[in-house]
Amino acid sequence: MDKIKGMRLLTKTTLLYLLLAVVMFSIGGLISFEQFKKAVSTETDYELIGAFLRTKRAIGNGKLDAIVTSKSLKIDSLSSRVEYDTTKAYTLRDSSIYLKRTQRVETFRKLIGYLSYDEQDYRVEIIDIIFEDADVKSVVSNITIRLFIFLTIGMLLGSVLISKFTFQPFEQILAAIENFQLNSTEPFDTPPTNTKELQQLNRFLKRMTTKARMDYVALKEFSENASHEIQTPIAIAKGKLELLSGSEDLNQEQITLIFSAQRSLTKLSKLGQALALITKIENHEFNAQKAIDFSDIVNNATNNFRELVALKNISLTNQIDDHVSLNIDSTLADILISNLLKNAVQHNIEHGQIEVELNNHLLRVKNTGTPLKQKPETFFKRFKKSSQTSGTLGLGLAIVKKICDLNNLLIQYTYLDNWHVISIKLNSNGD
Amino acid sequence: MKILIVEDEEELQNNIVSYLSTGEFICETASNFNDAIDKLYSFDYDVVVLDIMLPDGNGLNILQILKEEASETGVLIISAKNALDDRLKGLDMGADDYLTKPFHLSELNARLKAIYRRRKLQGQTILQFEEIDINTNKREVKIGDKLLILTLKEYELLLFFITNKKRVLTKQAIAEHLWGDHVDYLDSFDFVYQHIKNLRKKITSAGGQNYIHTIYGLGYKFGLNG
Repeated sequence: MDKIKGMRLLTKTTLLYLLLAVVMFSIGGLISFEQFKKAVSTETDYELIGAFLRTKRAIGNGKLDAIVTSKSLKIDSLSSRVEYDTTKAYTLRDSSIYLKRTQRVETFRKLIGYLSYDEQDYRVEIIDIIFEDADVKSVVSNITIRLFIFLTIGMLLGSVLISKFTFQPFEQILAAIENFQLNSTEPFDTPPTNTKELQQLNRFLKRMTTKARMDYVALKEFSENASHEIQTPIAIAKGKLELLSGSEDLNQEQITLIFSAQRSLTKLSKLGQALALITKIENHEFNAQKAIDFSDIVNNATNNFRELVALKNISLTNQIDDHVSLNIDSTLADILISNLLKNAVQHNIEHGQIEVELNNHLLRVKNTGTPLKQKPETFFKRFKKSSQTSGTLGLGLAIVKKICDLNNLLIQYTYLDNWHVISIKLNSNGD
Repeated sequence: MKILIVEDEEELQNNIVSYLSTGEFICETASNFNDAIDKLYSFDYDVVVLDIMLPDGNGLNILQILKEEASETGVLIISAKNALDDRLKGLDMGADDYLTKPFHLSELNARLKAIYRRRKLQGQTILQFEEIDINTNKREVKIGDKLLILTLKEYELLLFFITNKKRVLTKQAIAEHLWGDHVDYLDSFDFVYQHIKNLRKKITSAGGQNYIHTIYGLGYKFGLNG
């Protein structure tokens, strides 16, 4: 069976969720960043305004001298009275100042306000360092990344737990499907589950498998019965012809008619048997998977054919290693080699040759013959033969192919320089 | 030689009876399971020809009863199934032979006689036709006093002829008798011809007469005259 390379359903969903989380967290981070920045600047402005109002109050109380001015709070007395908008006692703006201490330009929030006391106008300048975008960004991304790592760990742990508990019945159903065999009578068992979808799946599978088995049995019975049932009428007809052929004073024409009728009946009966065999192979009715001594079978078969080969003036040589073992039903092994030899005899030429080779790696049957008119592989199909007039059924190699397929053996038919070569690789598993 | 034919298909029954009755057989028939059981309890048969697929029961059960009640009776199973397991099952249960439908009546005849020889005529296993003697125990053929050396296939061919003497044997029946399923159609007829040619030559050069007569286009007939 082919190796299944796909990703597990749960792994896939988890990964997709994580991917979605990356997107969501990025958007969330941006929103947090904006919100944070807004909150910080509102707070800074509020502080600055508070300081300005305190200064204004202090000046109003005549405590100008008590106010300690510093870099962040400057009060300048204005020599001339400036008109200023009394409704807007102050303005706020950003400004950049180079700081020697940090050796870089920092952003500040500056409040410039005007106030008058005792006919004297003052200009108040308050500055406050504000949170820089870069700082905000690093805080927000720190938080976001940490949350994301937490989530990832949580999801991974979760998926392990889910696969152990929730997905276990699902895995068991999958295993049951993989082990399902049409020709076995073992009930299709699925684990009980309280998940609705799995219950539905179970119910469906039970119905389908029962139906499939019923159909399979019906079809099998039909094809078996059909091929058996035709044998009895054929037997009757053949018997009648045989009785007829024993009667006295038949003329030559009648004899010819009897003979060709008999031949057609034989062909019909063999056809039924061959199709029944193919059906049986396709239905996997040969499942005796134990190692047999294939060398014995091949030796026996070649010995059986020696006489026929000699009668046709064909020379048969073989190179059969001892004790080549193969996992195959012994009946099928016999049919396999017999069909190959039969094919090699039938399609051979007068004074031709057949070479049989068997070792641990391959079985090869070579025979001399006339060039092929069709592609070699087409002969593995049913009812394909080199000429319609030949007495063969055109099923021999189709049966060989079916047997090879059933046992996972690789078969190849090549034609080169009047040699027809059919090779079967015996250890496709590479052992 | 008394045989019972257990076969539900009437026409097939008729074929067998017509064919065998011209030889040394006394044939009786049963068309179903119960009929067969009745007859087997009431009479003695030398060989039973048994179809294992009967409308009212499995022929293998008849075989079982037969083996318990009358073990000296020979059994030849005829079945439309050529499944190997069926064959082995029948033979395991004590059947003497197994024929798959459709069979040649000449083949059935030869097999029945072989069973009869093995079971009933333990001491007397010489088949004789004019100056030809076949000892089936030793697989020896003599023309008069002269030992005839035959290949296995030639021996089988001669035996087939003698058990079917005076009957027409088609080339097909001979080919299937000699090689079973291994040969197909056209090819095999040449092989049959070659074997017959050799057999004739061996018999006549050993001083025997040629009893194998060719029926052109159909087959051969073994006997004093064609």
